[in-house]
Amino acid sequence: MKIKKGLAYRRVAGELFVVDAGKARLHELNGPAAVIWEGLAKNRSQAEIAAELAAQFEVGEAAALADVGDFVRELQGAGLLA
Amino acid sequence: MAVSRGALGVAIAGFGVDFKSDSAGIITILRRRYAPFIERPGRGLELAVSEGPNRREPFRPYVESAAGRLELRRGDFNAEIFSGAGRGKAAAAPNEQCLDAFLRSLISWNLLESGGLMLHSSGIALGGKAYVFPGKSGAGKSTLAKLALKAGAEVISDEINLLRPGPRGWRVYGSPFWGEMRAGGRQANWPLGGIFLLKKAAATSVLPCAPGEAFRTVMRCLVNFSRSAEVSAAALLAAGRLLAAVPARRLGFSKDSADFLELIG
Repeated sequence: MKIKKGLAYRRVAGELFVVDAGKARLHELNGPAAVIWEGLAKNRSQAEIAAELAAQFEVGEAAALADVGDFVRELQGAGLLA
Repeated sequence: MAVSRGALGVAIAGFGVDFKSDSAGIITILRRRYAPFIERPGRGLELAVSEGPNRREPFRPYVESAAGRLELRRGDFNAEIFSGAGRGKAAAAPNEQCLDAFLRSLISWNLLESGGLMLHSSGIALGGKAYVFPGKSGAGKSTLAKLALKAGAEVISDEINLLRPGPRGWRVYGSPFWGEMRAGGRQANWPLGGIFLLKKAAATSVLPCAPGEAFRTVMRCLVNFSRSAEVSAAALLAAGRLLAAVPARRLGFSKDSADFLELIG
């Protein structure tokens, strides 16, 4: 699962801003969502991202993996993944 | 009737464009529309402009660059510019709206390329410094600018301001792009003294503003017609650098009072 080409993003004060210039949209991600995005940007697997999420936010890995799956589907729905 | 065909230099935010055209209409419109920004030709991008069709669609400009060739077009203009050679050619409908949209597209691109940005905002000059108030339509940009003007401040633009970083900090440049005040602007620049997000209120106040909120507002007010990821990244970087250099605050202001001028300096 990869981030769609043509997007630019930047972390500012803990929030991650994603520009989808093709659709003239600005998305804002914070907390776990930003961590998941950055994991996808580094081509990490969902399991690897879930492990990072579990470590950073003190949640179980199973719950973290479910969260990653949910958010990936949300990103797909928003047209942000290839 | 005098024929004004020939060459005309226009400089906006430090970017010069030397228009050359056989169209008397185009030169006349440029001379009238950009009078405060006219300069001697010979120091800017050499642009040969011919008259083109006045199509309404597409309305949103297309601005992209590849292999040193910048392409700008919408229904009523079509231009290609070779930045390395410092020249280009364009076909444009001979009317003010078209030439304005073309120059807005070109200058917004130039600003992002040089680390600056074009911002939907009200800008005023006071005490030798510029203060910028970003906001979308309805935020109160023109209201605030009119209040400032009435109280003796200079308005840089009530709609679009041009910001560039320099060796001694960010500067705001005179803008020919205005909103409902429809003034001409002037060719000058000021050090940026402050950035304020607007909030209509019963009483005047200046409050801190969360960095994320300021960044969101600046990004939403930034003018960028390119769809490329590289230019989007440049926009994110410019907005981040701007707010790191001059943190934004929130200004509560009433449409009945110019008291805010005493609080922003």
